[in-house]
Amino acid sequence: MVKTLTSIFISFIVLFGISIFEQKFVNDTFALFTQAVLSLHDKTEAKTATFEDGTAIRSLWEEKKKSLQIWLPHTALQEVDYQLYEAVGFICVKDYESALPKIEVVLGMCDNIPYSYTFHIENIL
Amino acid sequence: MAIIFVRTVVIFITVLIVMRLMGKRQIGEMQPYELVITLVISELACIPMGDPSIPLVYGLMAILTIYFLHQAICLIDLKWNAGKKLVSGSPNIVINKNGIDDAELKKNNLDVSDLIESLRIEGYFSLDAVDYALYESEGTFSALPKPDYENLQNSLPIIIIDEGQFDEKNVALTKRDKAYYLDILKGQGCDELKNVLVLTVDGNGKVYLQQKGKKYVVLNLQWEESLW
Repeated sequence: MVKTLTSIFISFIVLFGISIFEQKFVNDTFALFTQAVLSLHDKTEAKTATFEDGTAIRSLWEEKKKSLQIWLPHTALQEVDYQLYEAVGFICVKDYESALPKIEVVLGMCDNIPYSYTFHIENIL
Repeated sequence: MAIIFVRTVVIFITVLIVMRLMGKRQIGEMQPYELVITLVISELACIPMGDPSIPLVYGLMAILTIYFLHQAICLIDLKWNAGKKLVSGSPNIVINKNGIDDAELKKNNLDVSDLIESLRIEGYFSLDAVDYALYESEGTFSALPKPDYENLQNSLPIIIIDEGQFDEKNVALTKRDKAYYLDILKGQGCDELKNVLVLTVDGNGKVYLQQKGKKYVVLNLQWEESLW
């Protein structure tokens, strides 16, 4: 009886703890990445973004992706890869008009991906 | 992860309800919730194992949720009788002193031939050889035989009428025709075939007849020779 109660309590605490940690970790990581992408967006809009700015964002994303892959399906993160790499490519050749929509897409995904895995009824059903 | 937790709980409860609704036919030697765990846990373990794009933690989380539910149900089983009945069900007495309880059989999606098969597996070949028979909550079958049950099953009984329908092949085996059995039914005050739950006859002419909603009767047809 005591053993059963203890196991229920411990397993619930672990489940609850992991859930809270996951939500916070994913939200915080994407919030940080969004800030970086926003600054790249502003620079691209002002046509002052450089290839170094792009690679810095790409490195940041690669670093964050390693830990995000523990919590999110890899396929959800691959789309960010694709759009971000294209945007950096356009910035490299100073094609800011083509880079801007790609950065917008990345910003949209930074909102949508964490939301897709947060605790909402539409995500459960 | 909270999504995985809630989804696992929802799927678990849904499968458990479906298993309970399917009756005892679907389970064997496991409580319904144990069967659900067996069904669900293998899938939960396999999906992240076979698909590297799904984080392993998804599978671990779901398996831990199943463990949590298992422990919670064990606690309910131990401490709350009504809860135990709800989750695991209760034994169903399908044969009593009046004979077969058709309603109890139907509740578990079983019919008379399933019952006869269960009796045979337990070593009771004649329906009148047992006083009580029941399906346990985990789907196993138990029977309480009559003290002299071995003397009641000298020959293998076969089904002649099963829930209002003649078994033509078995009728032919007895070297009699349907009219012969219809006369027997009339003699017992049964005018309509559809009112017969079961009629079996053994090689010596011993008949077990039960009409729906009535107590069974055992008749001896005094055949000249043993047929099998």
